[in-house]
Amino acid sequence: MTATSEDKKVLTAPTPLASEKANPLGEFLQKADFILLPLLAIGIFLGLWQFFSAIGKTGQIPGPVQVLTDSWPLISDPFFDHGSNDKGLGWQLIESLKRVAVGYILAAVVGVSMGILLGSFKPFRTAVDPIIQVLRTVPPLAWLPIALAALNQAEPGAIFVIFVTAVWPIMINTAVGVMQTPQDYRNVADVLQLSRTTYFFQILIPSAASYIFTGLRIAVGLAWLAIVAAEMLTGGVGIGFFIWDSYNSSRMSDIIIAVLYVGLVGFALDRLVFYIGKWFVVSE
Amino acid sequence: MAFLEVQNAGKIFTSSSGKIYEALRGVNLQIEEGEFVSLIGHSGCGKSTVLNMIAGLGLATSGRVVVDGNTVNAPGPDRMVAFQNHSLLPWLTVRQNIALAVNAVYAKTLSEDERNALVEEHIMMVNLSAAADKKPNQISGGMRQRVGIARALATRPKVLLLDEPFGALDALTRGRLQEQLLKIWEAHRITVVMITHDVEEALLLSDRIVMMSNGPAAQVGEIMTVELPRPRQRMEVINNPNYYRQRNELLYYLNKAKKAKAGKVPATPVTSSVNSSLEKSTLTLGFVALSDCAPLVIAQEKGFFKKHGLDVTLSREPSWKAILQGVLEDRLDAAQMVAGMPLGELLGTYQRTAIPLVSAMTLTRNGNAITLGRKFYDQGVRSREDFKRYLEADRSGKKHTLGMVHPFSMHNLMLRYWLAGANIDPDHDVNLVVIPPPQMVANLQAGNIDGYCTGEPWNARAVHEGLGFVPVTDLDIWAGHPEKILGLKESWAEANPKTHLALIKALIEAGHYCADLAHREEITQLITQKKYVSADPIYGTLGLSGTYDYGFGRTEPVPNFNSFDPTVDNLTEKLWILTQMARWGLVTFPENWQDVLARIYRDDLYRQAASQLGITVPTATYQPLTLPDGMTLDPADPLAYLQQFAIQREINIAAVKLPARLLYVA
Repeated sequence: MTATSEDKKVLTAPTPLASEKANPLGEFLQKADFILLPLLAIGIFLGLWQFFSAIGKTGQIPGPVQVLTDSWPLISDPFFDHGSNDKGLGWQLIESLKRVAVGYILAAVVGVSMGILLGSFKPFRTAVDPIIQVLRTVPPLAWLPIALAALNQAEPGAIFVIFVTAVWPIMINTAVGVMQTPQDYRNVADVLQLSRTTYFFQILIPSAASYIFTGLRIAVGLAWLAIVAAEMLTGGVGIGFFIWDSYNSSRMSDIIIAVLYVGLVGFALDRLVFYIGKWFVVSE
Repeated sequence: MAFLEVQNAGKIFTSSSGKIYEALRGVNLQIEEGEFVSLIGHSGCGKSTVLNMIAGLGLATSGRVVVDGNTVNAPGPDRMVAFQNHSLLPWLTVRQNIALAVNAVYAKTLSEDERNALVEEHIMMVNLSAAADKKPNQISGGMRQRVGIARALATRPKVLLLDEPFGALDALTRGRLQEQLLKIWEAHRITVVMITHDVEEALLLSDRIVMMSNGPAAQVGEIMTVELPRPRQRMEVINNPNYYRQRNELLYYLNKAKKAKAGKVPATPVTSSVNSSLEKSTLTLGFVALSDCAPLVIAQEKGFFKKHGLDVTLSREPSWKAILQGVLEDRLDAAQMVAGMPLGELLGTYQRTAIPLVSAMTLTRNGNAITLGRKFYDQGVRSREDFKRYLEADRSGKKHTLGMVHPFSMHNLMLRYWLAGANIDPDHDVNLVVIPPPQMVANLQAGNIDGYCTGEPWNARAVHEGLGFVPVTDLDIWAGHPEKILGLKESWAEANPKTHLALIKALIEAGHYCADLAHREEITQLITQKKYVSADPIYGTLGLSGTYDYGFGRTEPVPNFNSFDPTVDNLTEKLWILTQMARWGLVTFPENWQDVLARIYRDDLYRQAASQLGITVPTATYQPLTLPDGMTLDPADPLAYLQQFAIQREINIAAVKLPARLLYVA
């Protein structure tokens, strides 16, 4: 047999058509749109904000220029350390991220393991499903009193809240992923009489991977939401408590900067898990 | 015991709500080692269920599957499946996918180097070396399917199961992969069971094609042996006349199954309406578009059926095979049949249990002719002796192919008799193929066949269009031979004796009407209507006119070209058919031939009907029968007659146990 044209077609990299190269200006404009248009939107938003604050329609909220001048020390040096009650925003964020990391990793380990068990054994699933369905709807902050009562300390309590918030989507998605292992792959495994270990690592996990990572991505967003709320109540160092503390001392500009940082970090975490997932998951 | 046997297997699915669905019932299949068998049928006919039963992915709920002496009770790598959607693991490369299978199966028996070599060998086999390190989503659909097949073959299975392997591919890729699979199979001769709904794919690849009936409770409907020589190539295959005939048969079967599924072809109605003295008054009768369907058409158009209390629908059937099938499966109550069909069904059916047929009367006599292509005429061929000389002188190395309409038809027997009379062996010197009459001219024109033997107007048409000439009509071979008969199931005859007699009476009267030469013009007008033969009456007026056009200017009066006399005076004429069928190995010659003939050809019923009409019929006896070539068949010793022929096949002689009669209580 000789190589067919079909092979060649797929094996050689596609060459771009001449017409696609012909208009460099158009291409530049198309790319620039992705930067220019969001910048434009931000500009309009800041402009309106400044306008309304200048005419005094924003209550205690300062305008953007005011925020920048007020909080310049915070922005310019995120890593100052003036004792345990006065640290830069960088330290605050790192402290919060540490808690999230611990709680989230715990949630991932427990969630994926439980999910595989739930997806593989129907009686177990039937037995546990009502408990999961009830517990997963409990809001994160509702767990806090229980966590504090049980653990007697603020730090593990906050971590527990992260854990209990993040574990459900991971668990449920993993279970679905395992249940959704295509019958075709199971048939392949059956016909080849694959060993249990081979089946687990070569078929079950890779096949459920896209579901697991969807769960992990939802979970990381939830975990970050929960940490801010938890820290507001537990105190100490952390971005959540920083916001609450700033409110108590009426530093509105600091709050706005901190909220902006919370948003940016949350976005970064989501992207991070997304790219890790993309690296691992191969689907058809 | 065959290599792979499905023994009386059934499959019942129970849904979670407790509903029961019987997908298969009593499926039997024997597949030899190294055979390529296709399962064909509409979706929902249970073909995938059969494949899964063999694979062990879904076990039979009754009966069993045996592969190489072992009952299948779990999936295993000795029965590898190439799945419909290739089922490659998308996170593994081509090489890793194949290696997964090889490592799983040969982990203990082969060294790592040997396993790697096996993987590489199969990557090479499907010509994917360049893509070996790519993941499935980086290669085309056709390549993925090749990987699926390579993975299946790499485990060296005893049986390869292909589940619509090329169903999802575009036509070009599909064609190329079919050829690749054909090459691989011809090189390795592994046992293959393939599911497909592509008729052409099945023909190109298979040794046998299993047609499944519709579900629920689907069964094996028919099994067709593909009559195409190997090694096959697509371009050669499509020029083989068997290809189109078998393709049409498959399509016909599928089409029929589809209609049956949609509920459009119910079995003939059981009701009896007006005339309460008949068991059944609404009948469907089958015919083939030929001038000798005249008795049926006349009985319908001139009201003879009505006169005897019958409400008849005439169903034009595409081939004699469809006629037989229609009668066997009760789609038709009765039909015009070729004279040897009941004999062939009873004595020449091997793949299933024969269903006894009876024939009370001969509908027509004569009416056939042999047509040879124009090229023979141009080479000076006028007679069979010329044809023999032409064949001997022909150095092209290509066998000439002649068409006939059914193995059990007079056309086949007469054509063989005529050829053998000039020392041309019909099985070795030429190639005989079955083609339905209405398709003869087109096949001659396309060059698929070089000549044929059939009834009118299909010879007249070739003559009229200058495509060929008629060297001889059947009157020159045996004037007055029985040609078409009224055929129906013995069980039908026993369940409906009065209806049967009424039918015979109507057809006797129609036969007499046709026999009157004064009516010939009217008959021609009636049968050439669209719903019957649908031909231009110009075609030699279909052999009914009394003059016959042999082509290239030769016209002679042949008043009896179509004869409609149903009377039999010499019973030996049926014995002649039986001896010739035995001569060519079509049937076993029964030692108890008199019992067999009396059981099928129910002259007694014909006489009973005739006497009710007040017609006196001379007594029929077995008398010696002499044909124009001087050969005499003496009914006292038919075996001696059979041994006189220089050209014949091995003749089987055995006492045939006739099936028990089913007695119906009306």
